[in-house]
Amino acid sequence: MKIAFLSESPADEAVLRILVEGALKEKPTVASAGYRARGWPNVLQVLPAVIRHLHFNTDVDTLVVTGDSDDSPVHTAAHEAPQYFHPHCRMCQLRAVFRQTGKRFPAAHGRLRVRRVVGVAVPALEAWLLCGVEDSVNEAAWTEGQARGVLPYTRAELKLRVYRTERPSLPHEIACAVREAERHRRDLRRLEYDFPGFAALLRDLREPIPEIS
Amino acid sequence: MVHVSGVIASVAFRNFKALRNTSLKLSPFNLVIGANGSGKTSLIQALQQLRALAKLPLGDPATVTRVGGSEISFAFDAPHLGVTARLGCVDDAVCDLLRVDSANWADWEDVKVRLATMRSYVFDHAAMAAPAPRDSGARLAGDGSNLAAVLARWQRETPAAFDRLQAELTRWLPEFTGIVLPEDAGGMVRLGLKIGDAEGPVMADNLSQGVFYVLGILVLSFDPAPPAVVCIEEIDRGIHPRMLREVRDALYRLSYPAAMGETRAPVQVIATTHSPYLLDLFREHPEEIVITQKHGHEAHFERLADRADAAELLREGSLGDMWFSGILGGVPEES
Ligand SMILES: [Zn+2]
Repeated sequence: MKIAFLSESPADEAVLRILVEGALKEKPTVASAGYRARGWPNVLQVLPAVIRHLHFNTDVDTLVVTGDSDDSPVHTAAHEAPQYFHPHCRMCQLRAVFRQTGKRFPAAHGRLRVRRVVGVAVPALEAWLLCGVEDSVNEAAWTEGQARGVLPYTRAELKLRVYRTERPSLPHEIACAVREAERHRRDLRRLEYDFPGFAALLRDLREPIPEIS
Repeated sequence: MVHVSGVIASVAFRNFKALRNTSLKLSPFNLVIGANGSGKTSLIQALQQLRALAKLPLGDPATVTRVGGSEISFAFDAPHLGVTARLGCVDDAVCDLLRVDSANWADWEDVKVRLATMRSYVFDHAAMAAPAPRDSGARLAGDGSNLAAVLARWQRETPAAFDRLQAELTRWLPEFTGIVLPEDAGGMVRLGLKIGDAEGPVMADNLSQGVFYVLGILVLSFDPAPPAVVCIEEIDRGIHPRMLREVRDALYRLSYPAAMGETRAPVQVIATTHSPYLLDLFREHPEEIVITQKHGHEAHFERLADRADAAELLREGSLGDMWFSGILGGVPEES
């Protein structure tokens, strides 16, 4: 298995690498370049090109992409129905890009297409990092809050709780993020249970790499 | 949110260059964006004029009011809230009068001391690459021309600061492993950077421009005794877009020292940029963005956070894209 990551920052990538390693129970080979997007909606704009590049120019077989949900609607079980697509749900949007981009590619480098691994952090990656530390922080609490029009916390508050400052330096941000991700690596079940946007990423990771039959 | 104060609380302009009638509240950190010639540099020049005049004895208040000329007024942050300073200008380039109102003159003396340390920078990579006289390194020059001497002085006198700067440099640019500062018989210091296991260092003549800009920013960031106010133009120049986060953090180290584990006083920073990628990094702090708007011959300032639709704009996409699109203003006029 050879994995590439498309993320917003080195801190996000460090977290994803640890969580993916935890799920695989081994260190996968990681593509040397860390691919970056400048937040949402830029990730949607660069994703087709990243998929095409990986498919034709590299032997990467798995692309891990995550986004923050911010204020967008959260992906629900209803969205999983066949043919369903929610135009504002970021999970649905990211999956649609994978579906459409790979459709007409001929097989290359021994695989049919690059395997899709997509997660959406609700409302931001820092919520995953606080999972298990602060019981009140979970996807259901956010979704309920959205429905009631009273959000349980803001993105800025989550960041402050993880980094203990509004303006962390990049090394500090990485150190805090890695510390929490390492805590999850040992046991991903709580994160999987509290954050369906992460559970979806794990399910994708368990799918086989599309091989040439 | 805890209010962290800078030194200068606000600046108001009347008839100073294109700044006909506009004012601006300043934060501890300010990123100024806008078209070329829209007043970014005028703002910094106004601060320089204040610094220059504050050093001189005050004139007689009765004689410093000039009818119809340019005027720039400053208010100051706590603990100097009672102080105001007004510059009177002969024309739109030279200000020669300063009028100060203060309930307590000790406050003005205190403001003066801080203003005297203020520095403005427009880095010049060619000047920064040149050898510098050993004894010229007390304070980084406005164009960075004594960079080698400043580093050599830190190495001699404040080695902890030098080590921190060197560690940060090699983290930003991992192809380098350290700084060398050989001095010739004539007392001139040259700058070079060590690379891996290679035989010799790469000397300044062969370093890329961006390396000098990075070094300039790091010298400001790790200065053990920094000025109270620092102005820097074009902070993104020559720097890879992916490294702009580091540039932002280096400047935050000045303005928000506690956030970076520093114990010294905050430095007020006024920086300019033309990089949408750098602007993207201020999504969580729109209060730090100042947009200069120019319409015809008149320019004014606007704080992004003061816009009624700021929250919506921040939700809808990247600030850099918004700026480029023209929604934020701060774009060149088209004929
Ligand atoms: Zn969905």
